[in-house]
Amino acid sequence: MSSCGFRFQAMSSVCEVRLEGDDEGVLGEAASLAIDEVHRIELKYSRYRADSIVSLINAAAGSGESVAVDDETASLIDFAAQLHGLSDGLFDITSGVLRKAWDFRAGRTPTDAELQALLPLMGWSLVAWRDQRIALPRAGMELDFGGFGKEYAADRAMSVLAAQGQRHGFVNLGGDIRVLGPRADGGAWRFGIQHPRRADATIASVDMVDGALASSGDYERFFERDGRRYCHILDPRTGWPVSSWSSVSVTAPACVAAGALSTIAMLKGEQALEFLSTQRAAFLAVDTSLRTFHHEPADARRFVHGDIQ
Amino acid sequence: MPTPARHLLAACALAAAAALSGCALAPPQPWERGNLAKPEMTMGGDALDQRFVQHIYGSKENASGGYGVGGGGCGCN
Amino acid sequence: MAWVEVAVAATERQSACGDKAGAIIAAALALPGVLAHADSAPEHGEVAVKYLQYKDSQPGLDRIKVTAPSIYVLAPLSSQWAVEGSLVSDSVSGATPRYHTAISGATPRMTDERHAGDVRITRYEERSSYSVGISKSKEHDYDSSAVSVGASFSSDDNNRTWNIGLGFASDKIGSENDPTLAERKRTTELMFGVTQALTANDLIQLNVTYNRGRGFYSDPYKEPDIRPRQRDQSILLTRWNHHFSDLGATVRTSYRFYHDTFGINAHTLAAEWVQPLGAMFTVTPSLRLYSQSAAKFYFDPVYDPTVGAPYPPGYFTNPPEFISADQRLSAFGAVTVGLKFAVQFTPDWSSDLKMERYEQRSKWRVGGAGSPGLDPFSATFVQVGLNKRF
Repeated sequence: MSSCGFRFQAMSSVCEVRLEGDDEGVLGEAASLAIDEVHRIELKYSRYRADSIVSLINAAAGSGESVAVDDETASLIDFAAQLHGLSDGLFDITSGVLRKAWDFRAGRTPTDAELQALLPLMGWSLVAWRDQRIALPRAGMELDFGGFGKEYAADRAMSVLAAQGQRHGFVNLGGDIRVLGPRADGGAWRFGIQHPRRADATIASVDMVDGALASSGDYERFFERDGRRYCHILDPRTGWPVSSWSSVSVTAPACVAAGALSTIAMLKGEQALEFLSTQRAAFLAVDTSLRTFHHEPADARRFVHGDIQ
Repeated sequence: MPTPARHLLAACALAAAAALSGCALAPPQPWERGNLAKPEMTMGGDALDQRFVQHIYGSKENASGGYGVGGGGCGCN
Repeated sequence: MAWVEVAVAATERQSACGDKAGAIIAAALALPGVLAHADSAPEHGEVAVKYLQYKDSQPGLDRIKVTAPSIYVLAPLSSQWAVEGSLVSDSVSGATPRYHTAISGATPRMTDERHAGDVRITRYEERSSYSVGISKSKEHDYDSSAVSVGASFSSDDNNRTWNIGLGFASDKIGSENDPTLAERKRTTELMFGVTQALTANDLIQLNVTYNRGRGFYSDPYKEPDIRPRQRDQSILLTRWNHHFSDLGATVRTSYRFYHDTFGINAHTLAAEWVQPLGAMFTVTPSLRLYSQSAAKFYFDPVYDPTVGAPYPPGYFTNPPEFISADQRLSAFGAVTVGLKFAVQFTPDWSSDLKMERYEQRSKWRVGGAGSPGLDPFSATFVQVGLNKRF
């Protein structure tokens, strides 16, 4: 019985496919197919490739032309539309343009004028989405699948592994995890939740035999100025970052769900706990004073306090 | 239509309506299906036990079948 | 650092159809290809051997004794293919069952062997499965061959599964008493079923079966015995399994209504309670109630005053088209009580022992009078089995 980890780079993150089984050759083949699937999704929805569907849609913004999309993209756009509604407009795949105003590397806050110029380019309600054709009405508008692309890839990679007959393992794309099945001996995989302020520590752990785990935090891309932290999670209504939570981790049956819930919770600020409770998800939320709040519905795995060993 | 067949038809229709009402009680979410997968919850049961027992009843009583197709016959009925 | 558990209002758990809780999770799971393969071949193979001992009796006389070893194998061939099969070998010994208690007759002790086997291969797709199977059974005076195909289709949320099955059987019938007897019987069977998960702890099933048979139905060892050359059967089966989370126990219930063109209506009601005891043991008491009406051409043990048994009054002056004195076609009720013990030694090895007692009485018939003049009938059967998972 072997336990193999297949590491690779994708979506600007360190990724791993972990599998357990008797035949390492078979595990390697299955992992290779799963990794191919991750790269396929990365290329299809990449903003940096001129031939990706996202780039084609963005290039047609303001031209009055609508772009036809395939079934996979249509289902993802429908999902994003539902998230927009269920989050009261906070989750918005047109809000990617805000990155033009924020320079996290230089640590520069935007001027009012810069933000005012970008705000009219955001708003899912402006988008014409009908009959599998999408049109962005104003030049400069952009769609950004970054909000759930990595999580969707984790779920799809897991499906590929399952279709290959694999049953023991998980897919980890930079911290967005989808579990295929328990360890070969039936035991659970233990995952640590990154400590939001100490890079070398974890704040809690959770044991899982199935389902997904995703986290959002203010520590991934940020800068601090005058004692205030500015993170990369930006409220589309104001253009400014959220500041209530340092990290939110969610477990759910699918990674896209866990990722959407953790991102929306960060955006909801003070209403995050109430929002997560109504969504029947297990969560761990850490505020900026490092107070930790957690809740798990009856059948879900529990978050366990403390540094993972 | 003879009475027993009419009763059968009525029972079928009623049962079908109940089964197809869809909104019956609270169908489980995909992650709540753990208990349904337990061996004692499956409809089939122990394969050899069922084969034996249905064969015995088929040879001592007149009614047989209803659980699945393809059992074949025997000289006992 | 503080570690606080958030209390959540009781309304979170409300389960009305269409409630908004978990809407994001539901939306995510609706994305194609996000949930793993639902219908796939079984993860583990299995080999089971079982030994059955059966003995029946009527007052004053032990009748038939059957011992039957059997084996069952389930082998997944890949994540999408599985094959299963079984073999059983019945050794029947003892006197033939009586027809009409009054006829004691010197029925000779007989021995007979029956060998039967079946094989089924199944293909699993994401939301459906397809299977084909054959079965054969051979006794010295009865051969049966059958072929069947089946398919099942599951809904997206896997809470509802539709089943359909079609089977053909062809039987060849002979007789030790009459070497010239070479009869046939052909049967076609069609079944529709639906299985529904009502809640996380409830599963129900509804099956409707139609069976059309043409050929030889009479019993060559009984005189007089002339049965119609066709028999159509309609069967309705409902099953309900409920799991009690707090007790860890499961109750399995079923009701079957049977009707055939011989004029027999039968009801079968069964229930068993699966109770785990600790991590290794399970005890399952069971109860089965059965009742059937008599066939149209069954006659009570009242015999012609001139000719005598086994002929009914007027048999020679006004011959009936169909006639039988077979106790199995009379009106009666029956009760089976059973108890099963199972032990799970390791995750791969388990063993079980089941004992059942069967009692048949005319007066136990439900919904009408039982056929008069028949003795009670009893049987005991014991099964012991060993299973290995691989």
